[in-house]
Amino acid sequence: MPRPRPRPIRFSIDGREVEAAENLMLVDAAKHGDVEIPVFCYEPKLGHPVGACRMCLVEIEGIPKLQTACSTPVKDGMVVHTQTDRVREAQEAVVEFLLINHPLDCPVCDKGGECPLQDVTFGWGPGRSRFIEPKRHFVKPLELSPVIAIDRERCILCYRCVRFSQEVAEDYQLVLLERGAHSYVSTFDGHPYVGPFTGNIIELCPVGALTSRPYRFRARPWDIEGAASVCTLCPSQCNVELTVRDERVMRVLSRQNDEVDDGWLCDKGRFAYQAVHVDQRVTAPLLREGGELREVSWERALDHAVGALARAGARTGALAGEGTTNEEAFLLGRLLREALGSPHVDSRAAAALPAGLHRALCHPRRQATVPDLEFAHAVLVLDCEPVDDAPIIDLRIRKGVRRHGLRLAVATSRPSSLDANAALSVRFSPGAGGAFVAALAAALTGADSEELAERAGADAGSVSALAELLRAAEDEEDGRREVVIVWGERLAHGALADQTIGDLVALADALEVHQAPGAGLLELPVHANGRGMREAGLVPDAGPGLAELGPGQAGRASAQIAAGLAEGDLVALYLLHVDPLRALPDRPAWERALAGAATVIAHAPLLTDGLREHADVVFPAEAYPEKEGTVVHPDGRLQRLRPGIAHPGEVRDGWRVLAELARRLGTDLGVASAGEASAQLFAAVSFYSGLTLEQIGGRGLRWPEREQAATEFGEREAPPAPTRDRAPEHQPPTLAGAAANGALHLDSYRSLWSAPEVQASPSLAFLHPQQRAEIAPADAQRLGVRDGQRVTVCAPTNGQPAAGQEGAGAREVQATVALRHALTPGVVLLQDGLERDSANALGDPGSAVEVRPE
Amino acid sequence: MERLLFAGIDEPGLDTLEVYERRGGYQALRRALQMTPEAVLHELEESELRGRGGAGFQMAKKASFLPKGSMDKYLCCNADESEPGAFKDRELMQKNPHQLIEGVVIAAWSAGINRAFIYIRGEYVLQADILDAAVAEAERAGYLGERILGSEHTLSLVVHRGAGAYICGEETALLDSLEGKRGNPRLKPPFPANQGLYQGPTLINNVETLSAVPHILAMGGADYARLGVANSTGTKVVSVSGHVQRPGNYEIELGIPSREIIYGLAGGPPEGRAIKCWFPGGSSAPVLTAEDLDLAYDFDSMAKAGSMLGSGSIIVIDDSTPIIDVALKVAKFYRHESCGKCTPCREGTNWTVTMLERIDAGLATPMDLDIMASVQDHIIGHCLCVLGDSMAMPIGSMIAKFRDEFEAHMEAARHSSPLGTAPPDTAPALIQGAV
Repeated sequence: MPRPRPRPIRFSIDGREVEAAENLMLVDAAKHGDVEIPVFCYEPKLGHPVGACRMCLVEIEGIPKLQTACSTPVKDGMVVHTQTDRVREAQEAVVEFLLINHPLDCPVCDKGGECPLQDVTFGWGPGRSRFIEPKRHFVKPLELSPVIAIDRERCILCYRCVRFSQEVAEDYQLVLLERGAHSYVSTFDGHPYVGPFTGNIIELCPVGALTSRPYRFRARPWDIEGAASVCTLCPSQCNVELTVRDERVMRVLSRQNDEVDDGWLCDKGRFAYQAVHVDQRVTAPLLREGGELREVSWERALDHAVGALARAGARTGALAGEGTTNEEAFLLGRLLREALGSPHVDSRAAAALPAGLHRALCHPRRQATVPDLEFAHAVLVLDCEPVDDAPIIDLRIRKGVRRHGLRLAVATSRPSSLDANAALSVRFSPGAGGAFVAALAAALTGADSEELAERAGADAGSVSALAELLRAAEDEEDGRREVVIVWGERLAHGALADQTIGDLVALADALEVHQAPGAGLLELPVHANGRGMREAGLVPDAGPGLAELGPGQAGRASAQIAAGLAEGDLVALYLLHVDPLRALPDRPAWERALAGAATVIAHAPLLTDGLREHADVVFPAEAYPEKEGTVVHPDGRLQRLRPGIAHPGEVRDGWRVLAELARRLGTDLGVASAGEASAQLFAAVSFYSGLTLEQIGGRGLRWPEREQAATEFGEREAPPAPTRDRAPEHQPPTLAGAAANGALHLDSYRSLWSAPEVQASPSLAFLHPQQRAEIAPADAQRLGVRDGQRVTVCAPTNGQPAAGQEGAGAREVQATVALRHALTPGVVLLQDGLERDSANALGDPGSAVEVRPE
Repeated sequence: MERLLFAGIDEPGLDTLEVYERRGGYQALRRALQMTPEAVLHELEESELRGRGGAGFQMAKKASFLPKGSMDKYLCCNADESEPGAFKDRELMQKNPHQLIEGVVIAAWSAGINRAFIYIRGEYVLQADILDAAVAEAERAGYLGERILGSEHTLSLVVHRGAGAYICGEETALLDSLEGKRGNPRLKPPFPANQGLYQGPTLINNVETLSAVPHILAMGGADYARLGVANSTGTKVVSVSGHVQRPGNYEIELGIPSREIIYGLAGGPPEGRAIKCWFPGGSSAPVLTAEDLDLAYDFDSMAKAGSMLGSGSIIVIDDSTPIIDVALKVAKFYRHESCGKCTPCREGTNWTVTMLERIDAGLATPMDLDIMASVQDHIIGHCLCVLGDSMAMPIGSMIAKFRDEFEAHMEAARHSSPLGTAPPDTAPALIQGAV
């Protein structure tokens, strides 16, 4: 679907000649003439106008009836009046009608002071009501969900929330019940409205009918300040405005940036701010003394850390994750490489990738943007689940399918929430993403794909159909083909990561994504700033700017760091915003590593299991509303984090702690402020060179669009995929070593709700998942387990009792069975990223596991 | 008077294919299928047939708005006859279902449509059963289905039952309901002819309109146009109800004097009573009075008199009924049926009912009549669909024409009210307690 190309036209509004884009709705076009037309139901984010509230009636010459400005596209030569007696009478009438059943309780209403109904009543209302009958009454307020309160008396039935649920989130939960003046908003069967995006209806509501339960009665609009920042709880990096009162975040609102988030937030982003101010927040340095973590002074904590790091020297490994800023990642790299002489840094969860492949992946010509998802001819969702990995991307894809006729293809190992919207869904075996990419690349290049498809456990016919769908995704008129491939970082987690990424690049090149500006690859990294950390050089095989390292300078990737610590090759581990037990694959290996490490130093805002048990020093880390620095969006957009509140307790800036450690270790990093850290980063990363924080500004800046990027990466052609041995090494899925009775393939995913911040936020905690073992009904029958039954999922024991596997390092998890019809038989689907009973205790996706009733 | 749609209407077994065919049924279809769709459309154009559902839009013109091409196009027969006073479609479907089916098949042919639906109100259980049986019969006989009577025309016809909402008779709400959604009107444009059912071009016609189609094909459009008067051609089935001695459906030639229908056919009001007012086109038409009885009963004359012919349902009210009872009945109906989507209708119908109840309870002053009249003005022309207008127009006309009666009623009610001595306008809290 081509992007709209607006044609400028001239029209007259209230006697003023104004230029606007043709077919813009009159409400928006009027703004070009500084005319405000009041609206309630109109919200372009929700799709086509519905014309329900009738607030925006205006007079158009040549049309006898008044027209709704929200649904009338502006045409050349149109003459519009918004200030005539007729219009004024109609608008006053609508306000009077709306207030008939609206309680005038503004002084105690949470919306008071920031309420569109209040504003419109003052601006366009008649000033008095002639209605003296009793108003409509409902029981109020009620919990629409644990985070949303609904006051049905205040509702003006503008339909916004219902349209959001039906047409944006597509959860189809909210409906209007009854009719006429008795209508009210509810869920169909009275169940709580729970989903990934529900909080958006609070912001959409033009009255005080839908309010945030965590925010209710906490502040009035004149008590608060807004602070712009970026949410770094997932890679979507939505732009947010923090509502701040007395150095506390009271609320998070969307700061609409169509290039990033389209003005939506997920409920994690909207409500997990509560974790900033909880009692369990680490607000002072912690030192392990006598086996327990105790609060100590910064001086002692730093001394201890410096002593340990100095002893470990080059035998130190460092990992970073989650919302680590570019600057922190960059300085951590310098601390390790320069001050300690250790090359062992990583921010990925898998085997190392050569710098060349990193650069091939982020080549500007292969890079898709978020808006591309909306206007592409086809989108392939490859081995990821956007709603869990980067929820706002999920909404963008839905929008593309719903409004712009995007053809969606889904290729995953587990059933996807986007299957219903997809023109084609293809399944492959758990952990066989690499083999699938190889098969698809082969199908697209005309090579034999059948054997590879078989190795991926995918239907060969579906692979060819998918290749055909992508190849045929062309514009009917000009033949352009814009295909976007959204892929999850875990695709590159296997041992054959470099081969898989090579295939992925070849796949993109076969689709000629570099020829079309709206086509390309979009990676959903595991960590919120995964891309930024890599570009800042926090990977073992590349330096800042993904530069090739000199010979012998390559370090260990995360899995090898774990092995090194367990075997004693490494002795110290530095953790920046990451708990490997929770965030990285192979929990048993990390348990051995943490147990084997002489010193574990961590930065964390909240203690998680791994740190609680193994960290020797914990520096209190900033939550994102306190941070200053930059992050990189998966599409290459540099965005600024700006502190909205002061550091609580003794929390210090991450960059300051890293610089201080380096100084005490004898290396002056030359960083005395956050700005200096950014300046150093921009100077060190070749494709950031010359950037300033001012240029990034509040909306961010995509470095792939900069001239420097074109110069550095080559303007026209993307380089072909790096050549490599094409020998297919993918093994067909086997259940090696499994007992004949009942081994299943493990598949895993990380839920949107599995974050520590969700767990710590009082009103979100109910969403924090418990482990479930999802299996197909046929398997349940075969194994003799029922839905809701507690089971143990463990590595195959070949019929032997699982001796000696108790306690730490046990390869088993407890879970509750959940039957799922859509699941491929032979697979058990578990969740990752949980505090306990996480799937990473069992092995990588594709491993054989057994399910045993407890 | 010539009878077309009602010809032989009471013949036993007319609802069976056998009797219908014996009376010459499906001959018009055979004729139409030998003509090109354009030629059929031309006959309909010549007939100047205006829609019988209420809006009175020329049928052929509406059909010609459908885009040409091979996309999926739909025909929806609006059989959601729910307006108080209207019962003509019920008799047409119950007694002569094949006439409607034949009309549907011909109309679909003229507009290149392959899928048709009859959306019938859920309460018409008997009629829906009859239609189901007739459709099955027509399918067996080859009048529906693939390549009808060996022609190029293919049509599937499904009878769909509504779930009891007046608003689903509004064409776009009907489409939403048919699609399985809540039956709420859509914003227009886009009009159904461009984007209707399942976003495809859709022709929507009333039962009576489509039932007239076979007759137009049989006698020729030009001959049909000779019936009736200019701009209101043909015959019309009129449902007469209320205070008349012989209520029922009567097929008339458009343009005869209204008096002839009400007095001549329906026998006028009971002995000793006089007509106070009458609705010429269902409960949504502004009321006319005894002075208007000599107006010709056609689209233009009714419009000129400030009312409308609508669906052709005449409700007669005699002088035994207080006007406030009529107003309350009408207003309550529309409040109950308002879908709630747009503000003026949702709130305005509710407000009007509560004001009328207050007047009836003796808790109002003449100022309230002004407020009520202004509320009607604020509804008219400001709504998403015409349901709001359908209440506001008759209520407005009643206030204008019977203001004296309203005021007298108010005064009398005030004296008999327990709160009669308390001036109502100064004690809103007291009123709230009382209501």
